[in-house]
Amino acid sequence: MTTQDQHRTRVIHVMAEILEVDPTVIRGEQRLREDLGMDSLGSLELLSVISQELDLELEMENALAITTVDDACAFVARHYAEQHGAAHARA
Amino acid sequence: MGLRMREPSAEPWSAALREPAVTGQRLVRAASTPEEEGTLELLRGSIEKLAPRIDSGSIDRQGKIPEAVVEAARQAGLFALTIDEAHGGLGLSLKATTDVIERMARVDRSVAVMLGLHSGLGTRGLIRYGSAEQKARWLPRLAAGEDIASFAATEAGAGSDLMAVETCGVKVPGGLRVNGRKCYVTNGGFAGLYTILARTPDSGGPRAQSLLCIPRSSPGVQIGPEEDKLGIRGSSTITLDLEDVFVPDDAVLGEPGHGSDHCNHVLAWGRSLMSAGCLGIARAALTLSLGHVTTRRQFGRTLSAFPLVQAQCADMAAQIYAMESLVRLATDAESDPQRLELLSILAKVLCSEGAFLVADRSIQLHGALGFLESTGAPRLLRDCRITRIFEGANDVLLVRTGAALLASGKTDLPAALAPRIAPSLRDAAAACDTLLQQRQATIDAIRKSHGLSVMRKQAVLWALGQAEVCTGAAVASLLRGGADTDATNLALAEHAACMFTQQAGEQLAAAREPRNETRMQRAQALSDLLYAPYAPRTPSQNPRSRTRSQESPA
Repeated sequence: MTTQDQHRTRVIHVMAEILEVDPTVIRGEQRLREDLGMDSLGSLELLSVISQELDLELEMENALAITTVDDACAFVARHYAEQHGAAHARA
Repeated sequence: MGLRMREPSAEPWSAALREPAVTGQRLVRAASTPEEEGTLELLRGSIEKLAPRIDSGSIDRQGKIPEAVVEAARQAGLFALTIDEAHGGLGLSLKATTDVIERMARVDRSVAVMLGLHSGLGTRGLIRYGSAEQKARWLPRLAAGEDIASFAATEAGAGSDLMAVETCGVKVPGGLRVNGRKCYVTNGGFAGLYTILARTPDSGGPRAQSLLCIPRSSPGVQIGPEEDKLGIRGSSTITLDLEDVFVPDDAVLGEPGHGSDHCNHVLAWGRSLMSAGCLGIARAALTLSLGHVTTRRQFGRTLSAFPLVQAQCADMAAQIYAMESLVRLATDAESDPQRLELLSILAKVLCSEGAFLVADRSIQLHGALGFLESTGAPRLLRDCRITRIFEGANDVLLVRTGAALLASGKTDLPAALAPRIAPSLRDAAAACDTLLQQRQATIDAIRKSHGLSVMRKQAVLWALGQAEVCTGAAVASLLRGGADTDATNLALAEHAACMFTQQAGEQLAAAREPRNETRMQRAQALSDLLYAPYAPRTPSQNPRSRTRSQESPA
């Protein structure tokens, strides 16, 4: 499993904890708001928890543009690669 | 009652301060039009006539509103306030309706809760999102008070977090089969129609929700016994069990799966009318206090002659002026749902905290007499205690308000108010202008220093939320005072603006104070020790607070 896959699993796991649903029901194309009932502040809370767990510094402005589960996973992967080096992301 | 928020809102004060004279004029009166003023006058007269027939002490002791009072309210049209004229209602605006609920709350809060909930949470979903057929089916009886409306969202595991609602509607031919248990259902014991929030996974993702209308007579609806409460004891609060209740497709309000969005709008109305009830309680407490301090003599003079008592009475009156001003500013935004949602939250926190403060001060000013139920002062305190909790617990609302403030996009500062306001308010307005600059500087600094991690710093978010509530109180008081010609009101506006500008400044400073971070770290360490004997899982074992090093590889 690549680091990117691990991060994706981690994002979905945290999301499931926040939403109190089984992680297996969360799919990449689902929209945080319409499909998962997570408002914009909820998505910021999610990214804040993830940033703590992955030791990432995330800015608020970019986080607000996230609308789907895939967006959130890509956002985390991109910032992880930038801050911890691309080599880690491919590891 | 729970809380969710829409997208972070745009700057609320720039819009309010763009044309202060125009906005101020709209805050001076509760009515929006001369016709509405006429209707309000009639309703105020009805409440005055009804007041002597309401024995609040007896309602409190019996835990029930007498049927004669309910019938008198029906006859006075008090169940018809917000329902449109085509369906037998009066079609009042939200702002005008707050005036009616406030006046009723001065007389009796339990009756005000029954009417306010009917007009807000109970019927708002149907009025705003109902189809023509749904409205024709239910609204005429609700307007006449033949059916009373209730709203059921909260559950044992879903209070301030309505995303956690477990009551579930599963698709079956022709509708939904609904199962679940709702608690703290106001008006529930005598309601004829319930608007409920349920998960409806077949209408979207796993957390999709819908608003459903369920008549009391539906098979499977079970009404629990009345709760024994600290306050608003005459109001009805029950647990509602739904067991295989069939809800036909045509009883879903608005768009299936969009219940949480619809709920935001309904809650904004509920919070506004609840704020109005708090205003009524605070006025009643001030009236009691003024009557007492101007007649009670100690040390050779009336209490009212003591400077400290004067200061306390002035603070109470200014608090009430600010509460009313912010309620009017919020409800004047009825046609702008996003703005109404934001401002109604600020008004709810200000009014529920303010009413409790004023009611508590009233007891203190009464001395030992204030401890006696016969004065009516303790009942006011008990009746407003719940308002700091329901429709969004204040601490939760404050944290979310602070978060929304940080998440909202940067906007231009509003133009300075001081040069555009009545001369007697210029100094207070100049202080408020400085506050708004300080507010923007604080937001910028916190965003820069904390980034997204600030979303986990509840003390910072809470202080920012408090600052925003106080800013709202100051801005609304100045806007209204600037358009008010009454000398007492002008003095109240100045005092309120100064008081809340100062409080807002203190909260902004607290949000940036590094020592608060240390305090929270100390508190977390201490709470681990305190919780240990009680909780099987201490905070550090909570999955949400685990560090990555504690996780097994994904």
